[in-house]
Amino acid sequence: MIKRSSIDQCTGCTSCVIECPVTAATREFRGPKLVGPALERFRLFANDSEASLEYCTNCKTCDITCPSNVPVSTLNMLAKAAYYKKHGHKLRDWVLAHNGLFAKLASPVALLANFGISNAITQKILSAIGIAERPLPVYAASNFYRQFKKFKQQAFKNKVVFYPGCYIGYNDPQVGMDLVTIMQANQYEVIVPDIICCGTPIVSNGYIELAEEHARHNITEIKRYVDQGYPVLTACTSCGLMLKQEYLELFNIDGAAEVAAHHYEASEFLLELYDQGVLNIKFTAMPGKYLYHAPCHMRAQGIGLPSLELLSLIPGLSIAEADAGCCGIAGSYGFKKEKYDVAMKIGQPLFEKVITSSPDAVVTECGTCRLQIEYATKAKTVHPLSLLRAAYH
Amino acid sequence: MKESDVVVIGGGLAGLTAAAVSASRGKKVTLLAKGAGTLAFGGGSIDLLGYCGEQPVNNPLQAIDNLTTEHPYRIVGTEQVRQAVDFFIALCRQEGYALEGSINHTMWLPTVVGTLKPSSLVPRSMNPNGLKQASTIVIVNFTGLKDFYPKMVVQGLSRLTGANKNYLEAIVETNLPGSRDITVLDVARWLDTSEGQQSFIEQLQSAITPDVWVLVPPVLGTRPNYQVWEHLQTTLRCRLLELVAPPPAITGSRLRSLLVRYVKKLGVKVVEQSNVTHAICDNGHCQAVVTHNVGREHAYFARSFILATGGILGGGLIASPGKVTEPIFGLPVEVPSSGFTWGDTDLFAAGGQPFARIGIKADSSLRPLDAVGRVLLTNVHVAGNMLAHYDYPQEKSGNGVALVSGYHAALSAEGGER
Repeated sequence: MIKRSSIDQCTGCTSCVIECPVTAATREFRGPKLVGPALERFRLFANDSEASLEYCTNCKTCDITCPSNVPVSTLNMLAKAAYYKKHGHKLRDWVLAHNGLFAKLASPVALLANFGISNAITQKILSAIGIAERPLPVYAASNFYRQFKKFKQQAFKNKVVFYPGCYIGYNDPQVGMDLVTIMQANQYEVIVPDIICCGTPIVSNGYIELAEEHARHNITEIKRYVDQGYPVLTACTSCGLMLKQEYLELFNIDGAAEVAAHHYEASEFLLELYDQGVLNIKFTAMPGKYLYHAPCHMRAQGIGLPSLELLSLIPGLSIAEADAGCCGIAGSYGFKKEKYDVAMKIGQPLFEKVITSSPDAVVTECGTCRLQIEYATKAKTVHPLSLLRAAYH
Repeated sequence: MKESDVVVIGGGLAGLTAAAVSASRGKKVTLLAKGAGTLAFGGGSIDLLGYCGEQPVNNPLQAIDNLTTEHPYRIVGTEQVRQAVDFFIALCRQEGYALEGSINHTMWLPTVVGTLKPSSLVPRSMNPNGLKQASTIVIVNFTGLKDFYPKMVVQGLSRLTGANKNYLEAIVETNLPGSRDITVLDVARWLDTSEGQQSFIEQLQSAITPDVWVLVPPVLGTRPNYQVWEHLQTTLRCRLLELVAPPPAITGSRLRSLLVRYVKKLGVKVVEQSNVTHAICDNGHCQAVVTHNVGREHAYFARSFILATGGILGGGLIASPGKVTEPIFGLPVEVPSSGFTWGDTDLFAAGGQPFARIGIKADSSLRPLDAVGRVLLTNVHVAGNMLAHYDYPQEKSGNGVALVSGYHAALSAEGGER
């Protein structure tokens, strides 16, 4: 767990204030330095109320920017949870925090559920509880777990554990299946453990205790494979960051460090295979111009941008980094009615970049980043693994 | 195994300059950055050498000869200083944010507290050339802006540039919504927008007569270009000057975003959030540096390494009672024998603060030295505020030493020995 004394490392240099995308988008947020380390000093001896905490998206730009190792965003998440404990939660936040549960319930009746959330009456209800009037993620007709079960894998000695997470699990299962195909082409067998939502939306909506239950479940499930030495792959950078960093920062759970030590972003793992000279690089040429958007939670992992390097290996494919900051969606944040404008404003520099460079598609790992970019720019988006999978034809 | 030609550790001015130099010479460069560096919130002007002791310097290049032989400028030599500055000037011009000034001349920049700060290369919007001859100076404040007092500027300036000027004050209302304090960041973002620019012009039009000097805090846009400055200045027909301000001075952030964009364009692989914990060295030769955030370690192999992680403020050196350590390579850091002699109780003591000179000793290739002057690591080069034997707050040489040593380290690192 993070040490509260880490706030003493804050020199008040303002680096995080300069880079914070929320601070730039709205003057209602008092900024990461103030609501984080500065107010934490007061919270040590008094139960302080800082309502503007709810503006923090947990994008972690402050952590990336901090020269003094202060876990600013996690301090904010803990303070947010304490704040809601005292001041109560909105029903809407409960709904958004439980999206994993809803997905599980909705998935067997996906078409009906999609109609259920997209029809005018439901939209009115959702709007009344504070959900923005914008398209909600659509559930896939056949979720990843069902497709994976049906898929006949070739058995290999090398194995990886794949943690799909909710978005790939229920909304965009093709990305997961693409990873399975890629791993098979590299003589790896894929294991999918019995996991639940990693907790990202639960933490950012302020339900720390529930997030801990999720963390304990997932770590127990994954740990049994980690004990056999298998690497753990994610293809959603927020799930990845949760497994490798936030579980350790937020909770004290046996086995969390071992799981973290075995975690790889899928593209990071494949790039490592390439560096070892064992990646299957029989790629077909794929002429095309792509723009890569690095999700904030990829940047926060401290592993560079492996997808950018990996895709550069595909003959004919040209890919450039957008380098235009956060897209603004921050998971469930941009679906909140009162945060909608802030979310759209945060993403403005990225949207402009996408529009002016008019790529064949915007490439990014994060599912909700893709939703936001498609919604704001009408550009096509694609997960890097899906592009890579196409090159294996 | 993945190997770069050069791994640069540190994303401040020294590290970014080193990466830019190496990459522009065709090297494969990886830049490991933790945090945005002190560059991000600093003033962004390139101060080469403002003072030798208490003596103001008029010609920084000439004054280098008066420094002690251990000073970084003396170590790299006058010619390298000149080349480094030329490289940097060309880089900024090419990127659309040309700096003005020269290595042979000190400019005195007015600050928000009414003092003058010596510098050598500044953005066009900070160049005070001609201010002395101005007859009317208008100081513009913004309603609700924190830490800016025009009266203080007037008081200071009238003492420094002659009292016989006509000083006027004007105030601009931003009408920014929201409850938090207004900082220069907020105003700069407001002036990024055409509505903000239009409002600024409308509110000042009547207060400004052609050819006056208009002094503002650093608020003329957040991006490294002169669009805001040029548009406002041309429309108002005045000379618009940004004052030097304490953090967060948007001016440093502009320079940083320019440099990051530039090195990425040259193909430098930038790895953010890289917490470098240790190095793998063997017989005075470094093979790799290792990062460890949470999770797993990552080794970055290279032929040469440039260590530019900063001084005590930037986190490159860790100070504790009685000792200072360099945490990555464990390089020796010499400190005054008694903790009581690290500081002078007179904050602005004539000889500077002794702790400011604490750092790593280096040879003419900026390789780290031990106490008796032997090279410790043959392919590691130290740059920036980590270097010993200079006192940037007193000399006003911070960004100057950073860029000169970053440049020299990059050249020295070429063809690192195996």
